[in-house]
Amino acid sequence: MNKLILYLFIGIFFISCSAKDDYPGVEYAPNMYHSVPYEPLSQVKDEEIGSWLDSNPEDGHGEFYNSNPYNPYGMTMLEPVPNTVKRGGYLPYRIHKDSFEIAALVKSPIEDGDEVLKEAKILYDRFCVHCHGEKGMGDGSVGVVYKGVTAYNSRAVKDKPEGHIFHVITHGKGRMWGHGSQISIEDRWKIVKYVQTLQKQ
Amino acid sequence: MLTRLTKNLTYISRIFSQNFGIILLSLLLSNMYQLSAQNEQDEAFDQNIVSSGESLFKGNCTVCHAINEVVIGPALRDVHERQSEEWIYAFIKNSQKVIKSGDEYAVDLYNQYNQTLMTSFDFSDEELNSILTYIKSESAKEVQVAVVDNIVEGGEVSSSISSDNFYLSLGLNIFLLLLLIFILFRFTNLSKKYVILKDNQNKGKLLDDDDKEIVDSGFKINEFIKSNKVVGIASFVFIAVFVKSCIDGLYTIGIQQNYQPTQPIAFSHKIHAGQYEIDCNYCHTGVNISKSANIPAVNICMNCHGVINTDKPEIQKILTAYEENRPIEWVRVHNLPDLAYFNHSQHVAVGGIECNTCHGPIEEMDVVYQYSELTMGWCINCHRESEINSKGNDYYDKLVELHKSSSKEPLKVEDIGGLECSKCHY
Repeated sequence: MNKLILYLFIGIFFISCSAKDDYPGVEYAPNMYHSVPYEPLSQVKDEEIGSWLDSNPEDGHGEFYNSNPYNPYGMTMLEPVPNTVKRGGYLPYRIHKDSFEIAALVKSPIEDGDEVLKEAKILYDRFCVHCHGEKGMGDGSVGVVYKGVTAYNSRAVKDKPEGHIFHVITHGKGRMWGHGSQISIEDRWKIVKYVQTLQKQ
Repeated sequence: MLTRLTKNLTYISRIFSQNFGIILLSLLLSNMYQLSAQNEQDEAFDQNIVSSGESLFKGNCTVCHAINEVVIGPALRDVHERQSEEWIYAFIKNSQKVIKSGDEYAVDLYNQYNQTLMTSFDFSDEELNSILTYIKSESAKEVQVAVVDNIVEGGEVSSSISSDNFYLSLGLNIFLLLLLIFILFRFTNLSKKYVILKDNQNKGKLLDDDDKEIVDSGFKINEFIKSNKVVGIASFVFIAVFVKSCIDGLYTIGIQQNYQPTQPIAFSHKIHAGQYEIDCNYCHTGVNISKSANIPAVNICMNCHGVINTDKPEIQKILTAYEENRPIEWVRVHNLPDLAYFNHSQHVAVGGIECNTCHGPIEEMDVVYQYSELTMGWCINCHRESEINSKGNDYYDKLVELHKSSSKEPLKVEDIGGLECSKCHY
């Protein structure tokens, strides 16, 4: 009878191996699963975690601890050093967010062409369409709820130059917030090309 | 008796038919009255001016204004009664100028609406007049709008009832079924008792031995459970299910499929990606250009939630994080072992694989869970089956040529080294 209970318990132990809800499940070789170097987008701040199989007792924390004590909030990722410029790309756009007059003078570095418009349409569908809508009428699925989304062909904006559009994408205007952090400079200029076609309709 | 009933019925039907005519007549009359009232209202404004005003209003103003509700700017119903036409025209043409001139009403308005400046519009006086006429005509229609609102609300209520009805009827059906079984059981028992009683009254002459056997064979639940057959079947089912779950459990060691951790903020992909159809790339900006798809930083949330739903407790968490310049510590769902290398841009930008292929129906998940196994077998299987889209890509031209000379199968991922160990393990 005792043996039977033992089997039962072993069985229940096996059954509970699978992941569910907050429990990630049993790992087969945890030392090989958890990164020793700092891993972006995965951070273990608890020093106790993994102390049951510590392969390096001298470091003073558990096996799975992965957090950089010198960064704010122990982050394993850092922003680029301030005032540095990425190699092989565009120079950073540094016109102040209130300087619409200066921004309007900036010319697009992108050539016109069908290929560019095709790429721009894809980018527009990723970053703009949910507010500004398929035809730029401000009637996207989010735009209807968000409200205050200007139609590209409305009297107020239909004649705005490309530099102005680029500046608004970068820093935002009115209720729109800046999208400079999530769209690269080149992609922003491509989107400008597509927006210009919607202005003219 | 019967004749009296028919007499009554005919009497009732006669009253109804007589009154029906009156009811119909009054309905018609009231409809006509409504129609004529509507016509009177519309006649006050020139239809051409109203319709041109409507198109101008919808093209330029609805972004920030509505007739009956505050959007970004104030509701415009009866705006002509609040201010003179000259004032309104000046404000539309250049609101900044009016505010700077120190006009009290304009300054109050500016402060009341979060110091948001209204865009200047260079409308001609004729266009301004048509817009104002449209607003006037809409202002006069207040009652009708309210009626329409009621209808919409009623529609929503009825639809929610119909979805409740489904479960109600299901429960009712199950209840009725159980009741039927219970009644049948009681009925058999009762009829047995009745037969025995009758038999006793007739001193055992009513039933022969065969009948008695049937009547006496009661259903004894204890004996039934303890019988060998039942014990055997039950223990077999138990052991089979138990062993199956044990083996399944063993197979899931190291696999985190269905892992669904609680997140610090109750973010729902179902609302954002499903209902509002926001593209995955909008937040996961790294997916086309880097190894990881990226968890969006707080500022991307703020693109909308700087304005939307700022009073809700879950959104408040974003706002505090933004004010404190503190990252939100989301719990990572997909933990690929460190021993395997995976690159998003390679699969999404080059391979053209949709997010759903690996991540499942994200747009239906309130809380994200790991949809795929993410095992090596799962990766390899896909590399064996997936054809390479070599169209319009010079890189593959020679590879395709070489492949065609030795095989009739289309070029697949495994043919260009998709199964090599060192592609993912190094």
